Amino acid sequence: MALDYFVLVFVASMGVYQIVAIYAKLDGMCLFKQRPLQYFFGVLAIVGAFGWFFTTEERNIQHTVEGSQQLGLFLGAIVASWVVTGILASIIQAKVDSTANAPTEGKQYKLGIENLKTRTLLGAIFSSLQKERKDKV
Amino acid sequence: MPPPLSGWTIWITGFVGKAPALDEFMSFLASDFFIPVLICLIMLTLWLSQSDRFKREKIQRAVMNTAVAIGISTLGVHIVNTFWDPWPRPFLVDDPTILESARHAAQTVFYFAHDPSFPSNATTIAFAAATGIFLGNRKVGILVYVLATCWAMARLYAGIHFFVDILAGVALGVLIALFICKVFMPRMEPFPSWAMNLFRFLYLA
Repeated sequence: MALDYFVLVFVASMGVYQIVAIYAKLDGMCLFKQRPLQYFFGVLAIVGAFGWFFTTEERNIQHTVEGSQQLGLFLGAIVASWVVTGILASIIQAKVDSTANAPTEGKQYKLGIENLKTRTLLGAIFSSLQKERKDKV
Repeated sequence: MPPPLSGWTIWITGFVGKAPALDEFMSFLASDFFIPVLICLIMLTLWLSQSDRFKREKIQRAVMNTAVAIGISTLGVHIVNTFWDPWPRPFLVDDPTILESARHAAQTVFYFAHDPSFPSNATTIAFAAATGIFLGNRKVGILVYVLATCWAMARLYAGIHFFVDILAGVALGVLIALFICKVFMPRMEPFPSWAMNLFRFLYLA
């Protein structure tokens, strides 16, 4: 049950990230270039995850996944899903120049996901590390 | 002795078994996984949905307050359960009318939960989440209030709570969320700001 719950949240949150990336303009987290396809993938992931979870087994049974464990699994799943989405998007968008549209104000790590509007997750991390190294030198 | 307003439990569980489609739907709504995950995914959507970074930070702080309110409300329910457990679940009471009706409902729609009945843990958490979200975004907050009400009513329909359990859950959830969001978290500065900086450093906010 715990693993199933983790998979449910992992896949559904991946769908959420794809839909939200459109509205928040987080291009660095997009897995698709075409917005309708990305939206479709997002909805499919959410509906599919819930559909799979509730149709494969009877879920209204005495189970061992208590509230605090549910919270831990949920947080673990959304962070894991964020990282996997970020890495996948970085690989897919690898051809995009990572130095393009670099934010000029403040330190990059202070901007957080604002960086993901113009670069991928891995691109932002590497760029941030490079900048830190330059600053030290 | 059954709690006040226990007639509501008899009335609502009396519908169970009359319309299988309704039972199926209520079973889905009462689930430990459907509405809680949906509410958490709504919170996740709010966390990331704003394009403007200043608006985003505002809503992210509201979501963070909501998460803390959910955690504290769970703790609140545990504390109440530790010191006061006034009545058992409806399917375990001595009154044969309530027992029979609730037992049939729980067997058909849900399962025989054996943790304390008062207050409803699910309702407390859901209304704490709804209140926290409402303070950050009215429209989404109303949506979450609707979901929270559906979850609470489905559990009443499933015969695992008395109406008083639900009312106490609503009151506890709303009060805790108001206290956390309006009083506690603003006074906890700079810790929430440090948390936000950490999330930004990790590219999570």
